[in-house]
Amino acid sequence: MKELGGTKKRKVQLCLGLIIVFAGIAFLTNSASGHYQDQANTLDSSQLENGHGEVAFRKMMEVLTHNRCINCHPSGDRPLQGEDSHEHYFSVQRGPDNHGVAALRCESCHQEENNNYSGVPGAPHWGLAPKEMAWEGLSEQEIGAVILNPVTNGNRSLEELVRHMTEDSLVLWAWDPGVGVDGQPREKPPVMKEEFIAAVKEWAAAGAPIPD
Amino acid sequence: MREERNKRGLTRRKFLVGSAVGVGVILGVGYLSRSMIRRYLAGIANTIELPYQGDTDSPSIWFEVLADNRVILHSPKVEMGQGTFTGLAQMAADELEVEMSQMVVVHAATSTGNIDPFATGGSNSISSLWIPLRELAATMREMLRGEAAKMLGVDPANLSIRSGRFLGGGRQITYGDVVSSVEEWHVPETPPLKVTADFNYIGKPVPRIDLRDKVMGMRMFGMDSIMEDMLYGAVARPVHIGARFVSVDTSIAENMPEVVRVVVEKDFAGVIAKSRVAAHQAKEALVVEWEYDDNWQTEAIEKMIRVGQGNPVEIQKDGNPEKLLSSGENIITREYTSPIGAHAQLEPNGAVALVSEEGAVIMISTQVVAITRKEIAQRLGMSEDQVNVIPTYLGGGFGRRLHTPNAVQAAVLSKAVGRPVKCFFDRKEEFQNDTFRPPTHHVLKARLDDEGRILAMEHQLSSGDVMFGSPMFPRIATPLLGADAGVWRGGMIQYGAIPNHRAVCWRVKLPFATSWWRSLGLLANTFAIECFMDELALKTGKDPAEFRLAHIEDNERGTRLKEVIRTVVEKSQYRDDILPNGRAMGLAASTDANTPCAQVVEVSLQDKEIKVHKVTCVIDPGLVINPDQVRAQCEGAIIMGLSAALYEKMEVRDSQLTPTIYGPYRMAMMRDAPREIDVVILQNDDQPGAVGEPPLGPIGAAIANALFRLTGERQRAMPVMA
Amino acid sequence: MLITFRLNGIPRRMDVDESMSLLWVIRDVLDLKGTKFGCGKAACGACTLLVDGQAVRSCSYPVKLAAGKEVTTIEGLSDGEILHPVQQAWVEEVVPQCGYCQPGFMMATVALLDQHPQPTDDDIDKSIVNICRCGTYYRMRRAIHRAAEIMSQSEKRNNL
Repeated sequence: MKELGGTKKRKVQLCLGLIIVFAGIAFLTNSASGHYQDQANTLDSSQLENGHGEVAFRKMMEVLTHNRCINCHPSGDRPLQGEDSHEHYFSVQRGPDNHGVAALRCESCHQEENNNYSGVPGAPHWGLAPKEMAWEGLSEQEIGAVILNPVTNGNRSLEELVRHMTEDSLVLWAWDPGVGVDGQPREKPPVMKEEFIAAVKEWAAAGAPIPD
Repeated sequence: MREERNKRGLTRRKFLVGSAVGVGVILGVGYLSRSMIRRYLAGIANTIELPYQGDTDSPSIWFEVLADNRVILHSPKVEMGQGTFTGLAQMAADELEVEMSQMVVVHAATSTGNIDPFATGGSNSISSLWIPLRELAATMREMLRGEAAKMLGVDPANLSIRSGRFLGGGRQITYGDVVSSVEEWHVPETPPLKVTADFNYIGKPVPRIDLRDKVMGMRMFGMDSIMEDMLYGAVARPVHIGARFVSVDTSIAENMPEVVRVVVEKDFAGVIAKSRVAAHQAKEALVVEWEYDDNWQTEAIEKMIRVGQGNPVEIQKDGNPEKLLSSGENIITREYTSPIGAHAQLEPNGAVALVSEEGAVIMISTQVVAITRKEIAQRLGMSEDQVNVIPTYLGGGFGRRLHTPNAVQAAVLSKAVGRPVKCFFDRKEEFQNDTFRPPTHHVLKARLDDEGRILAMEHQLSSGDVMFGSPMFPRIATPLLGADAGVWRGGMIQYGAIPNHRAVCWRVKLPFATSWWRSLGLLANTFAIECFMDELALKTGKDPAEFRLAHIEDNERGTRLKEVIRTVVEKSQYRDDILPNGRAMGLAASTDANTPCAQVVEVSLQDKEIKVHKVTCVIDPGLVINPDQVRAQCEGAIIMGLSAALYEKMEVRDSQLTPTIYGPYRMAMMRDAPREIDVVILQNDDQPGAVGEPPLGPIGAAIANALFRLTGERQRAMPVMA
Repeated sequence: MLITFRLNGIPRRMDVDESMSLLWVIRDVLDLKGTKFGCGKAACGACTLLVDGQAVRSCSYPVKLAAGKEVTTIEGLSDGEILHPVQQAWVEEVVPQCGYCQPGFMMATVALLDQHPQPTDDDIDKSIVNICRCGTYYRMRRAIHRAAEIMSQSEKRNNL
């Protein structure tokens, strides 16, 4: 038998097809959420009850519970990695400042940008979220409580929280995760970046509800 | 030409002396003519300890005495960390009567004629050169003495030697002075060698000769090699098992920046570029069509490797074990397995080659200098004399560098551009194109008598090839030997006092390359046999150490084995129990290439992780040249064996060997290494024996045996999990 | 791109592709071979060197990031023939076997001792995660403690 050629190529084409379809949907949703965003700024309190906040919350949580986010918000003293969120190879440690230990700092390997030649991901201030900001193993509601509580969110106001979640380059890296050591692109969160940003803002504007 | 020399030099050793500016070049001309193949096979069949295979018959450079009174030893054995250069320097310095600081050891390029036709491996570098190297050194010393005596006008017998300096008649003269002025040499009969009491360096823990260069980061490895005007090559390598090169579309690669040439041969395609990065990027852009047959998975390989398939060869038999084990009471059967293992040495394979009309020069980390040369000569259509292989220090060997097709590829690329080309694997290629440690399956069967003694025992093992199929191994040997001696290394039952015992080896041809991995079959075979011995001991309620001792016969080999076991029990205060600190102890022993070794480990479980805290290792390699380096080899072998026993495993997924990177291919790190390793060296032989591999034997079984005491669950598969 | 950085105290200026890893710039452009290639994926640590005193795996560090910084490799550890305490300790404990991975370990050790002048075994385990196939970890641990001792002794002497 020759190289799987036939079957493989077909598979690849199929995947491409799917991506195109997804992209289309995403585009539609995206423009829709942009519309919502405009609305959110002018929502009054009665409209907030209408469940916009809840939809936004769910959308936001699809991202926050994704391994691109969880891997750096672990509950233990080890970063996680990979699509299966395994403990970081080589027993890499959180360290006292969440940036590793003496000779094994995060930035010993992770620079300010992805290195697609070596497959090592990177973004500014690469590191772990402090332990009190751990999300690993939490439900959506628990994560919601964690990110709203100043004690567990780095003493951020809601406004600061929104800024962190929508502007921080390390957070937004999740949508530009580069390729892995195998040269394959890393999985991105299931919600487009712009849609996520809009959802966060919408959720905040809706009073940051934590629905059941 | 060569035959003529052989005829003339059959009984009498001759030395030719050449001289360069300020340098006396001394060429050793050999003394014995032997049938090498026969000796090789006999060596394997007996002990797998080979005498030195190199040809000391033809003119080959062994020593150079420099005018500044240093002596260069051209070593036909390569240095891959095992400390051979240091040991050889100690042996030579003792007979030459020079200081260690005067000794310089370099790899003998094939142009020196000092070529080991087989390999550096099998833990025999020191033992095989023990006599020939010292005889050469002693003869050279006497040649120098004779000339010095003439120059000083005194009787040679009245000359004393100190640090490469002859003293007599109130005058003195250095070796360097002698070689700088002598033109015709008299070659004496081989003088008697020193006895133990007279050794200055043999038996002493002198520091490694390469220590300073290695901590200074000197240019010394194959991958550090450069040649003037050098380009960089990369070769497209298959990722699928059994893939054959069919064709390639080079159009993209050819137009990439810095690419100088794309080379397409009948069996591979490669690119040559101005930088390594450019070469590897262009290689990725080659669109290669590969052809391969099946879609392999780990599960299929595991099925293939089970005992009962392929050709069985009985490699050991005493009494009538088949009958006693066919039916009856008290028969115990257990199965053990080991996975595919990668070499994972840190320096990737590769070479720097320059091929021109006149010939080829290759700089390379290789364990098979002669084979590398032969394969390049064949491919280029040159005579072997036209190819000069310059071996470099190896960034790890472990058996990975017993195949060097990469050197041939580097040479082909160089020929295409007429310039030096440096061509190395990247890490993924290294993992996927490794020649792996074969997976194994073992069925152990025993029958106990009423007193709890073993009446009969059988070890059936199934494995992929180790020696068979290797370019190093003469094809003729396969039918002669029947079973692959690399596979069954450590696979014979060392408990000769069991009245009926046998070992049977099943050969399985795997679809991917398997080969030599430090200690060959020893690690897996000892894991199986020594875990089984522990299981039997516990079943009979006997102390595992006493149980073993009771089944070892009282010949020389058995006596030495008993002594390492008794010593390890005493030193480690071994007991078959959980200690107050929560650790459990495990014991295992093996005999490899005549070197018995016993180890006791202390193991605990921490967060479900197996922690090996302490290893006591007792080894009897015979006469020891450098006790510190014997210790180093034991420590290293223990950690490498621990790594294989606890973590390492290659999988086959959709015909690809995986993982292809450290991390996913989990190996022992600093945190996994035992904090205490206590090595005790016994020397119950007046000849040096094997050191580099024997201490890899017991560690896996010792850990599994300790783990059983901790958990009550017997782990019979490597890697062992808690 | 024209890039300037100090390598072992000496300013070096070169015209290289900015995305080329510091490892290959040092090995192939500047021809210092002490920094080793092991995996190219920041997994083995053989290419560890110091950038502004911090341990960095140079195979995964684009040269542009080194601009204006101080890069130290194994060749820059010793002061001529006088070995750095870490190298001295490595010699005293006869650590290297094949030696290929050792420069990376020594550079990581320098960074460790900079932060922990008297490291515990636990500090060592957490910080030193390079790979050594010869299994010299046992001696390396002793050498790291010994290096700490040499450094503290020389500090005491300097304070007298």
